[in-house]
Amino acid sequence: MKTILSTLVLVFAFIFKVSANDPAFENAMKTQIAAMKSIQTPAESQTVTNGFLRIAEAKTTEWLPLYYAAYLQSIAAFRFEVNKDEYFDQAMELVTKADKIAPNNSEITALKGFIIMGKLSVDPMSRGQEMSPLAMQTFGKAIALDKENPRATTLMAQMELGMSQFFGSGPEKACGLARVGLELFAKEEAKVTENYLLPTWGKDQAEQVAGVCK
Amino acid sequence: MKIRLTLFASFVFLQGAVFAQTVISGKVLDEKNLPLPGVNVFIKGSFDGTSSDENGEFNFESAESGTQLLVISMMGFKTQEQALELNGESIKIPVITLKEEFSELNTVTISAGAIEASDEKKSVILRPLDIVTTPSAMGDIVGAFQTLPGTSTVGNDGRLFVRGGDASEVGIFIDGMRVGNAYGTTAGNVPTRTRFNPNLFKGTFFSTGGYSAEYGQALSSALALNTKDLAKRSQGDLSIMSVGGGYSHTLANDQRSLTVSGNIFDLKPYQALIKQDFDWERAPYGIDLEVAAQQKTAKGGLWKVLARTETGGMKLWQPQPGIESRGILVDLTNSYSYAQTNWRRAYENGWSLFGGFSYSHNKDLYNLDGLNLERKNNLSHAKFTATYDFSDRIAAKNGLEYFRNDYQETLTEPGFSRSFGENQVYLFTEWDWFLSRKFVLRTGLRSGVSSLASEEWLDPRASLAYKISENGTFSFAAGRFHQLPLENLRVLNPDLKNTQSEHLIANYLLQKEGITFRAEAFYKSYDHLVRYDGIPQNPQNIRNEGEGFAQGFDLFFRDRKSLKNTDYWITYSFVDSKRSYQQYETQVQPDFAPKHNFSVVVKHFVPTLKSQLGMSWSFNDGLTYTDPNFPGEMNSKTVSYQNLSLSWSYLPRPNLIIHAAVTNVTGHENIFGYQYALTPNEQGQFESIPQGQGAPRFLFLGIFLTLSKDKNANQLNNL
Repeated sequence: MKTILSTLVLVFAFIFKVSANDPAFENAMKTQIAAMKSIQTPAESQTVTNGFLRIAEAKTTEWLPLYYAAYLQSIAAFRFEVNKDEYFDQAMELVTKADKIAPNNSEITALKGFIIMGKLSVDPMSRGQEMSPLAMQTFGKAIALDKENPRATTLMAQMELGMSQFFGSGPEKACGLARVGLELFAKEEAKVTENYLLPTWGKDQAEQVAGVCK
Repeated sequence: MKIRLTLFASFVFLQGAVFAQTVISGKVLDEKNLPLPGVNVFIKGSFDGTSSDENGEFNFESAESGTQLLVISMMGFKTQEQALELNGESIKIPVITLKEEFSELNTVTISAGAIEASDEKKSVILRPLDIVTTPSAMGDIVGAFQTLPGTSTVGNDGRLFVRGGDASEVGIFIDGMRVGNAYGTTAGNVPTRTRFNPNLFKGTFFSTGGYSAEYGQALSSALALNTKDLAKRSQGDLSIMSVGGGYSHTLANDQRSLTVSGNIFDLKPYQALIKQDFDWERAPYGIDLEVAAQQKTAKGGLWKVLARTETGGMKLWQPQPGIESRGILVDLTNSYSYAQTNWRRAYENGWSLFGGFSYSHNKDLYNLDGLNLERKNNLSHAKFTATYDFSDRIAAKNGLEYFRNDYQETLTEPGFSRSFGENQVYLFTEWDWFLSRKFVLRTGLRSGVSSLASEEWLDPRASLAYKISENGTFSFAAGRFHQLPLENLRVLNPDLKNTQSEHLIANYLLQKEGITFRAEAFYKSYDHLVRYDGIPQNPQNIRNEGEGFAQGFDLFFRDRKSLKNTDYWITYSFVDSKRSYQQYETQVQPDFAPKHNFSVVVKHFVPTLKSQLGMSWSFNDGLTYTDPNFPGEMNSKTVSYQNLSLSWSYLPRPNLIIHAAVTNVTGHENIFGYQYALTPNEQGQFESIPQGQGAPRFLFLGIFLTLSKDKNANQLNNL
C-alpha cells in the first residue's frame, strides 16, 4: 500500500513538474494573455477565447486556459452588444470545467461569483433577490479560500457598494474592502514577472469602488 | 511512461517542424449556408489552430505530421472532427457545415395553457417574487394566481377556479407529488387559503388546460409547485403579524440544509379591534410546524424531504333565512399532515431519474347545531419517472404512479359510519420532438385504472409550438382529461365513474425584453359530470349524467420597462360556460364561472422611501344563483365583484421589512349569492339572506426580521 501511495505521489509530482516547466504551454499561454490585452471587438474576443480553448483541449489537466476563456466570455458579455445570457451561460460552463480540474481554487470561485454578478445585471429587478445572496456567498467562499486574492475582495466590495446604494446605507463596508483589495493588488504586482501566467485583472474595479469613497 | 513518450514525441516533432509545416485551409458555414465566424479549428492534442474569419474562412500551419484529427468546434454548435494526413503539402478542406445544438435557450417552448413562474427558465410569465408581492394575494399562492388569465375570483371560497371549472378540478402538486386537501378546511362562505407558504417554492407551473401527460385527476388545471433546492445560508426568520407570528430557523452548508419553522395564527385579537359582519363565536385559529430538508447525494443527485403538520379551527353562527335567531352554530376543527420525500438525479448518459412518495392526512370534525360529523381522508402517492434524451432533438419521459385513497365519514351519534378505500395505478409516456429550433411537437399518453370505479381509461394529449418571429410564438394544445368525482359523493355511490373533459387551446405569446403579451382561446367539453336529485346536503340518485362546455379567451399584458421602477400587468378573461351538474336539470352557467373577469396589478418601487407600493384591482360581472321566487334554474346574477387592494413594503434596513396591506379599500359591498329558505313564508315568498363578506376590509400589518451573519438577508419572499 505504502509503495503504491508513494508511487502515486511521485507520479503527481512528476505531472506538476512537467506542466510547470512546459515551455510550449507557457509560450502558448503568454501569447494569448498578451493578445487578451488588445481586444476591441467581439470577434477579437472570440479569437483569443478560441486560443485558450485550444490550449485547454491540448492540456486537459490545466485550469488556467479554461479560466481565461470563461473570463473573456464574461467580459465580452459585459462590454459588447451580444446575447448576454448566452455568453454568461457559456462562461459558467467553462468555469465549471475549470473547477472540476482544480477544486477549491479561490480564483475560479471568484470568477464564478463574477459570472453570477453578470447574470444578475441582465435583469436585476427579478434576479436580484435570488442571485445577489448567491454572488455574495460565492465571493465570501473565494475570500475564505485565499485571503490574499485581490479579485475576491474587490468583487465583494462591488457587491457591497451595490447593496449600500440600493438600501441607501453608507458605503463604509465597500470602501474598507476596496482598500484591502488595492493593498492586495500592490502585493500581487510585486510578484508579477515576465513568466507570470496567473490572473492579474481587477485593479480598475477596485479603484472604481475606492473612487466612490472619496 | 506515457508522459515521457509524449514529451519525447513532441520533442522530435518540434525538431522536425522546420521541415514539415502543413498549411490547412477551409471554410465553415452554418445550416443556412452563411459564413460562420469565430469557429475554433485546430489539430487535436496540439496548440496548432486558428479561428475562422468573418467570411467563415480559416488558414493555419501545423507542425504535426502523420494522421491527425482536425477539430471544428464552437460553443452552441455540434463539434465535428475529421482525420487528416499531414505531410507538408497544403490541405484544402471541403466546406464544413456546423449544426447548432438545440438547447433550452435557442429552441421554442410550448406556451399553450401554461403560465410559468420561475427564476430559471425562459418564457416565464411571473417570478416567484411577483406572486408574493401581489397586494390582493395576502401572501397566498392561489390569491396571486387569481390575477392571472384563465382564472376567476370567487371571493367567498378562496380556491382557484379555472375557465368555467369547479375548484376541485385543479390538481395541486409539490415536486410532482399530489397534495391531498391542499386548502385549509373552512365553513361555508368563509374563504380559505392554501396551506403551504409561498416561501417554500422556487417556482410554480400553472396550467390552465391542455397540460402534460405527467398529471391526471384534474379536469381543468394542474398547479405544480417546485420546492427550493439547498438553502444558501444559515439564518433565523422572525415574523410578528397582526394575525399571529412565527419563527423559522435554517441550517445550511454546501451539502445539506434544514429548515424548521413554527407558526401561530389567531384572528381573535384582530376581530376584537375591527368590527366583523360574521357572527363569530371563536375566530379562526391555527398552529403549524414544518420541516424542509435538502441533501446533495453522490454525483449530482438531490434528495428532499418536506413535512408539515397543523391544527386549527373556528366557530361561528350562520344565520338562516326566515329565522330570527342567530342561526346554526358551526364548530369546526381540523388536523392535517403532509409528508413527502423525493430524489432526482441526472446521469451523464442522457438518463434522468426521479422517485417520490407523499402522504396527506386530513381530519375534519364538524359540529353542526349539536350534530357531530367526522371526516377522514388519507392519500398516498408513489411515483417513479425516467427521462431519456435520445439526442438534443428527441426526449422521452416515462412514469409509473400508484395512489391509495381512504375516505371515511362518521356520524358520532348514533355512531353511523361509511367509507371507501381505493387503489389507482397510472402509466404515462410523453415525447418531445424538436423538428427544428422553431417547431416542437409533444405527444403524450396517460392510462389509468381505478379499483373502486372498476374502470380503465386512456388519455391522449398533444401540443405543439411554432416560433413565427424572434419574439412571437404560436402554440396549440389538445387532450383528454379524466377525474373521479369528489370523495363525499363516491362514498354514497361507489360505482361512480370518471368525469371527462376534452380541451382545445390556441395561444399566441409575444415576449420582448420587459414586455409580455399573451392571448389564448379555448374550448372545453364536459361529459359524465355528477348529477343528483334533491339538495347538495342530501343528494339522491347520484349518477354520471351531466354534461356541458366552457369556451372563451383571455388576454394578458405585462410591462416592466416603460415606466421607471414600475411593473404592472393587466388581465382580461372571458368565459362562456354552461353545464348540467349537481341538482341542476338543465345546462346552466355555474355559480363559480363569471363571464367577464378583469384584473390590474401595479407595483412601484420608490428608492427614496425604500419602499415598494402595490395596488391590485379585480373585477367580475357577478355570480349566478337560483331565485326560487322566479321560474328556472340559475335565473339571477349578483352585483359585480370589485376589490381594490393596496400594500406598502418598507425596508428600513436590509434585514428588516415592514409590510402593510388592506383589501377592498373602497369598501365595495360584494355579494356572492343568496341563501333561500327551503319553504316559502306565509306570503308565498322564499326568504333569503345575502352571502356577503366577513368584513368590508381586511387589514394586515407584519414585521419580518432576518437574523444571519449576512446582514443583507431578508424575508422579501415571505410577503
